Amino acid sequence: MSDDHRLFDIPEIDQPLSTALPPGWLALLLGHSGSGAPLLAKQFAHSGVGNVPVLFYTTYERSEDVRRTFDEYGWDPAGIKIVNLADEYYERVLERGLDVARAREQGLSFEEALTRPEEDRTARSFSLTNRMLSDLAQIDHPFRLVVDSVDFFFEVLQLSEVTTVARQIRHRCQTIGGQALLTAHSIPPDRPVFGLLQDLADVVFQLRADPHGDRYEHTLFVEKAGHRPELSRVWRAQVQENGWRVEPPVARG
Amino acid sequence: MDSPPAASPASDVPGAGGLMTPATHLERCATGIEGLDSILQGGIPRGNMVLVAGSVGTGKTTLSLEFLVRGAERGERSLFISVTESSTKLVQNLSTFEFFRQDLVNQGQLVFVDLPNLYLKLGLEREELSPEEIDILIRTIRDLVRSTGAKRLVLDSLTSVCYRIRRDEQIRDFMLRLGQELKEAGCTSLLVSEIGPQPGRYSLHGVEEAIVDGVVLLWNTRRMGDILRVLQIVKMRGTAHSRAQYVIELTPIGMLMAPHLKGGRSEGGP
Repeated sequence: MSDDHRLFDIPEIDQPLSTALPPGWLALLLGHSGSGAPLLAKQFAHSGVGNVPVLFYTTYERSEDVRRTFDEYGWDPAGIKIVNLADEYYERVLERGLDVARAREQGLSFEEALTRPEEDRTARSFSLTNRMLSDLAQIDHPFRLVVDSVDFFFEVLQLSEVTTVARQIRHRCQTIGGQALLTAHSIPPDRPVFGLLQDLADVVFQLRADPHGDRYEHTLFVEKAGHRPELSRVWRAQVQENGWRVEPPVARG
Repeated sequence: MDSPPAASPASDVPGAGGLMTPATHLERCATGIEGLDSILQGGIPRGNMVLVAGSVGTGKTTLSLEFLVRGAERGERSLFISVTESSTKLVQNLSTFEFFRQDLVNQGQLVFVDLPNLYLKLGLEREELSPEEIDILIRTIRDLVRSTGAKRLVLDSLTSVCYRIRRDEQIRDFMLRLGQELKEAGCTSLLVSEIGPQPGRYSLHGVEEAIVDGVVLLWNTRRMGDILRVLQIVKMRGTAHSRAQYVIELTPIGMLMAPHLKGGRSEGGP
């Protein structure tokens, strides 16, 4: 299998999907807290290193924590551009929100009233989507993108904005042959957007952790694989020293 | 040429006829503009809130700035709250007048505040202010006046603020509360009102002039090929004033006033 068809560096998953997917595609990885989805997202990012530029947007982990995880699994993060969107959002929007709340509650001092607001804090709204899409716009050849996770977007953006950015990422992938993975950790399945994102995605994975005796067993579902329903599979998944590995599920009697 | 709102002149002769009973016991805030103080019997009653209404180029801002500079010269801290023009640009323009003194700015006697900066710091960026946000705005202006001990204030312009307060009852409430706060602080204020040339109104909503203590009306009129600026005191509570029209001239040494003689043919007059 050629390097550019490697999704996770998990042959059982990569091989069948590489034949089913077009050069540019959007994947959705669903996984609740404790499922291990963030690690699988990092594995996806790492397996693209060396072939294409890799962008990793985290919305809840510190950049150094992301790097540490890469190191722990022997994945060199040097080839990955790691961006903490939550920190940028906090610095640009939420921190200003706190300043505004304080000013409203306690009033402005005379000196504060006379000084101009700091330029970078006066942005009426920091656009998360523009921040990310402007990075993408600078790439004019195949790329790999991870957004971990889109849940944050639902907290700070309108629903229509989230779906718009997902469409734009997908369009960019299709246009220049990019491969993007969006993770979602806590979108309730009954929310309309859940189905919308699933429809938009070319591939949908779900990683689940279920208690079994005194431990958890992980299952990786390939729920959608382009227009090839026959490729939908269920895999038993385990974390090993070099990341996630899968094997056929054990038949239970 | 502008037509001023229909303010029925009490007399064609300045200083005569139609005068109210003088209320001489009121403390006066001298504007420092000689002719104006003469008409107002020494100045605006201290703590009054006065609308300075007029269309573009009639001298509203210049009159207001001179009111502040003259106050600062008398040791009264003076506050200019600018909505539409940056204070830097205002000071630059002001420095062309001989009556302006940069040292008053340097000493903090004459203070310029850009309201858009306050809007940003207070998160008042929505097109229409909510009642809570209107309250925040009033408290902020009050705190500024209290903390600086300002005795004179100009808001240029009230119209720009009122564009963001859509409902008449909210404007009424805003004006009443602002007026009350300023009066309690002993701060005399001029609120600049930008009006079109249509007669009959002195403010954007028509509510404002009913609340304020005074209305000074400015307009342009054409006479013998010249454009004259004309001033008329339409209303000034607690003051027996003339409602005659005065021609004003904005000179480097300040505003000069002369009776607007009715001889000859003029356009745009009442």
